[in-house]
Amino acid sequence: MKAYLALTQNELRLAFRDKQVLFFNYAFPLIFFFLLSAMLHAERGGSVVAAIVTNVLVIGILGNGFFGAGIRAVQEREQNILRRFKVAPISPLPILGASLTTGLLLFVPAILLTIGLARLLYGMPIPDRPVSLLIFLAIGALAFRSIGLIIAAVSNSTAESNVLVQLLYMPMMFLSGAAIPAAMLPRWTQTVSQFMPAAYLVSGMQGILTQHESLFANWKSAGALVVTLCLAIFVAMRLFRWEKDEKLQGSAKLWVAGVMVPFLALGVYQFRTNEQTVKNRTLWRQMQRGDAFLIRNARIFVGDGRVLENGSVLVRKGRIEGVYEGDNAQLSTLKVDIVEASGKTVMPGLIDVHVHLGAPGGMFAEAKDFATEKIAERGLAQYLYSGVTTVKSTGDTLDGSLALRQRVAIGDLLGAELFVSGPLFTTEGGHGTEYFSWLEGPAKAAAVEQFVRTPANPDQAREQVRQLKTAGVDAIKAVLESGRTGMLFARMDLAMFRAVVQEANGQHLPASVHTGNARDVEDAVDAGAASVEHGSFSDPIPDAVFARMAKTGIAYDPTLSVLEAIRDLSAGRPDLLRRSLVQQAVSQKLLKGTAELLKDPKTANADRAAGLDGAIRIAQDNLRRAWKTGVPLVTGSDAGNMLVFHGPTVHRELQLWVEAGIPPAVALQAATLNAARLLRADARIGVVAAGHDANLLVVDGDPTRDISATERISTVVLKGERVRRVDLFDASKNPLQ
Amino acid sequence: MVGIGAGVDQPRALVAQSGEEFLRPRDAGEVSVLGFDPGRETKRLKDRIGVCLQATNLPERITVREALRLFASLYSKTVDADALLERLMLVDKRDAPYGKLSGGQKQRLALALALINDPQMLFLDEPSAGLDPQARLEIHSLMQELRREQRTVLLTTHYIEEAEKLCDRVAIVDEGRIVAMGTPEEIRSRTLGQARVEVRCERPLGAADPPRWADADPAQISDDRMTIVVGTRKPARTLVDLVRWIDQLGVELADVHLRHPSLEDVFIELTGKSLRE
Repeated sequence: MKAYLALTQNELRLAFRDKQVLFFNYAFPLIFFFLLSAMLHAERGGSVVAAIVTNVLVIGILGNGFFGAGIRAVQEREQNILRRFKVAPISPLPILGASLTTGLLLFVPAILLTIGLARLLYGMPIPDRPVSLLIFLAIGALAFRSIGLIIAAVSNSTAESNVLVQLLYMPMMFLSGAAIPAAMLPRWTQTVSQFMPAAYLVSGMQGILTQHESLFANWKSAGALVVTLCLAIFVAMRLFRWEKDEKLQGSAKLWVAGVMVPFLALGVYQFRTNEQTVKNRTLWRQMQRGDAFLIRNARIFVGDGRVLENGSVLVRKGRIEGVYEGDNAQLSTLKVDIVEASGKTVMPGLIDVHVHLGAPGGMFAEAKDFATEKIAERGLAQYLYSGVTTVKSTGDTLDGSLALRQRVAIGDLLGAELFVSGPLFTTEGGHGTEYFSWLEGPAKAAAVEQFVRTPANPDQAREQVRQLKTAGVDAIKAVLESGRTGMLFARMDLAMFRAVVQEANGQHLPASVHTGNARDVEDAVDAGAASVEHGSFSDPIPDAVFARMAKTGIAYDPTLSVLEAIRDLSAGRPDLLRRSLVQQAVSQKLLKGTAELLKDPKTANADRAAGLDGAIRIAQDNLRRAWKTGVPLVTGSDAGNMLVFHGPTVHRELQLWVEAGIPPAVALQAATLNAARLLRADARIGVVAAGHDANLLVVDGDPTRDISATERISTVVLKGERVRRVDLFDASKNPLQ
Repeated sequence: MVGIGAGVDQPRALVAQSGEEFLRPRDAGEVSVLGFDPGRETKRLKDRIGVCLQATNLPERITVREALRLFASLYSKTVDADALLERLMLVDKRDAPYGKLSGGQKQRLALALALINDPQMLFLDEPSAGLDPQARLEIHSLMQELRREQRTVLLTTHYIEEAEKLCDRVAIVDEGRIVAMGTPEEIRSRTLGQARVEVRCERPLGAADPPRWADADPAQISDDRMTIVVGTRKPARTLVDLVRWIDQLGVELADVHLRHPSLEDVFIELTGKSLRE
């Protein structure tokens, strides 16, 4: 112990006399700090600063371990310094221990320096888990120091240790996320990096710094580092050599591989679970969302009815930090990126409150392309591409939707934010059950369990609502319709229906009710639904019902687009396929398959098309009167149905409303603030206001005059990230997909 | 060449030819140093001995005093570092970094480190190698002091006069084996070595062979026939015989040497090698 302390004290003292040591421990990381800060615009603040701190500290740890221990220890042997200790009553342990401790102690000022600078210059918040952070850093520093000692133990000369160090240092530096964020690297390197200790150091630190994770949340990384540390000390003890003349057998170098075993195991585990890749994507997303920029000289459609003819929107750390009217000289002094938006309109990201992510909105020629998960992922990406930053799924598989919502929420998947209703409440033989009629046995039971709820009595209905609440849904969807000639459905028992809606209200879950005619609408309003979906395509909804809706704030979602789509399908009209935004957002496969379907004479049905023209007129009339009566309107596309493509259809819905006589500004508010209110999320999304999520759509022109301007998308911002729209669908360009 | 101070009977297992390999595993038998078995009680033995190996180094930036303090921390018993610095004439240099010391100073520091634990036994491996005569003399006087302090010093050296001057007992090691051991006098006398008379003449001796003198080896004449060497047990008599014979040949003397056997002669005789090999 006495020897260990004296050796540590001595080594520390000598280190501080050595300019090279000081340079590599303090100056070198600082160079990286300023370099990365300049490259990644640290002055704009946000989680990019934490990422820079992580990179700098990891680079420090790598240098401290590999060069500080790996090469230095060999030099001490080569210069016959260790030889002097050989004849003293001392074992290798205090020497190794002193090297480890010295490395750690040398590193501590670098930690404080880096975090202090990040705080001073770029306003990085003080880490909220300082103990976890310090322990994790200490474990990391010690583990890499010990790996350095192993390198020293197996190298026969400084030259040899240099080669070994470079072999380990370079890949760890450039492939594991230390110098370049892992998520930016190609997929194969991400796979390779799963086997590198440095990768876990990076992701663990960033998790603690930016995701407020504890040490415990990173126990796998920390554990692997500790095991490496112990193994390395053991091996370094066994292979310790006092003199340069003691050569080591080549086979002894295999011990190094032994030290890597924990990371081999962890890598295999990660390879199977993908946890690390997901974490890297999440961290990358976080970094992208931490950017700061100012959209200036824009027309601002606030969402609540107000329009600022000339203003600026400041986005920072994922939020709207401020909305400024007119010219504001102070803004020019901000250290943020500038987005020039003269002649453009900034509006809240659009919201689609009625989508079915399990279906693509068209036809694939090959059955294998109907893979629910892929379709849903693609759908969410299409929404984002189209400036729709939030969607509500109104009828999809429960587990699949919840998992997808989580992936989007953490940033693993880049797409529109998802609100989930989960299974539809309907009745045996009711709408929603027809999709499974062709299934049998356990497959049918499983599908039904995921997709519908058909309670046997009101009590069970309530119980099922509560279960869904527990499962984590954001809303309840119920079906109340008896169909029409040629497609009759069993209608839900009213007592049961009311039980569903009331329990949903009791659980603070907005209940959206699918209706078929005026009678259904009236019953939904009676029951206290949060929104009426579709309304009626077959008969006028009485003004009195609309008046009650207006009074109680029940939203009306006319879903005109799905009606138009069915009409076009029956008429064999390909117009919807030719829309520019559809061509951009929808995959060629789907477009081609759907075009073929339209050409199929079996699809065409002139009588039905004619009938649907009438239905459209009824629906338009209902919408117009709803607006005139003061009903809160919301936009839903019912995407997933044939020709109702995820994303672009919201724009079509707005156009159909304007064609029906709704003023553009009213339609736009329906697609933003009103929709956000229905989602009970208007405190966070739906308006361009300080403190709200920075979900923004910037379009060329003025959509309050020309609604088609919404399709001329200039920029889409999701939670502060300016989305690289062209990369959304291209897996090679977007490693995150 | 191993010089041995007082008291060690069997240093064979402790040293190798060059003295570089300290505490090498034994081939066979029992070894006891200061009552410890070097193979089993290594650490306890190391705590009690002082070692000064050839070609060891210290970090460039460590100061003399820091080095002493550091090594002092490794032993259970230590002497006063300042006194040690005084004794090794390093007081002025105590705050100098190791890298700035001269060769002699480095060597004195190495000796100081070997003495820091007040060892009963010292192993000094060529302590004066590569030093200038002045520095070597300083080391010699230190070793004489250590000898007076009743410490056992095992000295490895290539300087024959060092062994003759400093050691009570000497062992000659050739290729890992002791070929002779004893006091310098014992070793000298135990060999075939004897006095040699060497005479150089002013001109060649001509073709005549010298006679065989009593108590002397056959005389050897150099190729130029100007030098004649005779080994003898009775140098005075042989010298007279030799000079008389040369005088009879009418040749004048240029130079006369009478040489007694040295350890060097013994070494060459025993190993067939010159010492500096």
